Amino acid sequence: MPVYKTPKSIIAPSGCCGGCGHGIIQRLIAESIEELGLQDQVIACVDIACSEWSLDCLDYDHIAGPHGRIASVATGIKKVRPDKTVYALAGDGSSYVIGWTETTYAAVRDIPITMIVVNNGIFGMTGGQMNLATTLIGDKTVSSKAGRRRETMGHPVDMLQAIKTFDVEFAARGALYDTKHIDETKRFIKKGFENQRDNKGFSIIEVLSPCPTNWKLDPVDAMEKIKNENEKVFPVGVYTDRGGNK
Amino acid sequence: MSADYVLMKGNEAIAEAALRAGCRFYAGYPITPQSEILEYMSVNMEKRGGTFIQGENEIASMSMLFGASAAGARVMSSSSGPGFDLKQEEISYLTSNNLPAVLVNSMRYGTGDGEITPGQDSYWVSTRGGGHGDKRLIVLAPASVNECAELTYLAFDLAEKYRNVVEILTDGAISQMIEKCTLPPAKEHDIDKFDWTLTGKPLGVKKNKMNNLTNIIGHPAYSEMMLNKFKTMFSEEQRWESVMTDDAELILVAYGISSRVCKTAVREARAAGIKLGLIRPITVWPFPRKAFENLPESVKGFVTVEMSISSQMGEDIMMAARNSKPLYGCLTNVNIPKAKEIVDFCLDVLAGKVEPMEVI
Ligand SMILES: Cc1ncc(C[n+]2csc(CCOP(=O)(O)OP(=O)(O)O)c2C)c(N)n1
Ligand code: SF4
Repeated sequence: MPVYKTPKSIIAPSGCCGGCGHGIIQRLIAESIEELGLQDQVIACVDIACSEWSLDCLDYDHIAGPHGRIASVATGIKKVRPDKTVYALAGDGSSYVIGWTETTYAAVRDIPITMIVVNNGIFGMTGGQMNLATTLIGDKTVSSKAGRRRETMGHPVDMLQAIKTFDVEFAARGALYDTKHIDETKRFIKKGFENQRDNKGFSIIEVLSPCPTNWKLDPVDAMEKIKNENEKVFPVGVYTDRGGNK
Repeated sequence: MSADYVLMKGNEAIAEAALRAGCRFYAGYPITPQSEILEYMSVNMEKRGGTFIQGENEIASMSMLFGASAAGARVMSSSSGPGFDLKQEEISYLTSNNLPAVLVNSMRYGTGDGEITPGQDSYWVSTRGGGHGDKRLIVLAPASVNECAELTYLAFDLAEKYRNVVEILTDGAISQMIEKCTLPPAKEHDIDKFDWTLTGKPLGVKKNKMNNLTNIIGHPAYSEMMLNKFKTMFSEEQRWESVMTDDAELILVAYGISSRVCKTAVREARAAGIKLGLIRPITVWPFPRKAFENLPESVKGFVTVEMSISSQMGEDIMMAARNSKPLYGCLTNVNIPKAKEIVDFCLDVLAGKVEPMEVI
């Protein structure tokens, strides 16, 4: 049986709800960073939503930025400290809704940071409102109580399809509903950090992640929902990989 | 020692002084009448080894600046009118993390999109603004190109000293005028100078977690620290110029472009035997209340000269004068005041033809 050692970067338990994907993602970030030997030079930028739960959990310098502006905050830091490993961790509301402009232009500027987007199809921190970019048609949220309707609320949109046209270094989507997918997500995240280490350009990794609390599902059913529903609209895999050829 | 005299625009003097103060990060979005700052930075920032970013909007620019300041750089952004509105959220975030930054607000007149011509009606947003929550910005108001350079240079030191946002409040006239100016010496800033910055430290070394200082030191300590900071800034940083106030009957109060015209008005009035004086706030926050202490018995009232509809500075004058004397408003809204207009207004005041102002 394989033995998984806790990364040294993890110094406290995640503050997330039980069964939340954010905690798994934090661990994958820490593992990737340590496997690449980057742990002594990291600056983490987290959005003030549920990503912020990693602030005390990981032993890195941290800044919690204004909701939605995290790609910009990371840009500012990377410009001042280009030799450091700078990552941005944010929700899908932050990255794709209120901060879509900021995400877009960090990508267009091809800033060599690693951005990790937690796609949980909902506004987690504020109690589970609809996410314009990622809530599925028919999904019930506290601001779409009868289920999301396309006619009045628009439809979910795969932002990685857009980002891949921005000529970025790397864009991929992973999931967490079984070990195979967790391993794949980790490979994507690690690749994002490797690209940054090699100064290759903007890397973005989106992760389909459960929010059992606001989905009002138990953790296992939440994972099943991702596999059976969310992944159908948001397919996992690599969207673009420039391979360092700018 | 070589004196560095140049002929420059106010906006350029601000940008060059910032670079000489060691500013190595600028992000902003174009808007008249301050775009020359951005354009100057686009040409000169990289030459000094810094970063210039034309942001996708003001909010993103300010968020980049927030990150750059947290990482230890001396940072600046600039805007005007609606663009400065968009900077408010991040000013609040800078404050909540005790981070320094220098911002320029070059006032254009009007509400909404307003005009692109000079105004002084963003006094409130500058002296009371800064987004949600409790905060104070030091606000410096240059009245010449030389002062644009001098005060910008000073602004970076003040921002660092207090770990606070410092604003340069100019107007379309001061920003756009060309004058002789002495540039300060160039210096470099060490981004590793302070222990509160994000540097990317090895595991095991104590980290900086920037997330509302209240979460880290608790509300009582934060409140005490902030209040002390506000009080110290208030008592230590008041700056002003007094012109012929010693025997004045009426004292004009004006800053920026209006204060220049007021100086002419004082001169012309004196030549005609009318005893006018002037208090020119150089800091509009902290408002120079000390300038209003120990004024002579001869003073019959104050005349605020502002390019606005309602007197925005009036409240501050009333508080400074503790309501001891009447306040009259010579408010020229979209127009730059004229010296004769001011002198005539004062003659009417002295003849009892003008009602004292209610600040509304
Ligand atoms: C300017 C602004 N608007 C709104 C909020 C309130 N707010 C905080 S987090 C959040 C949504 C969080 O959703 P997401 O970004 O998807 O992150 P999650 O919590 O789901 O990880 C909102 C609306 C805020 N803090 N700032
Ligand atoms: S609210 Fe949802 S996203 Fe936030 S910590 Fe809880 S489960 Fe995770």
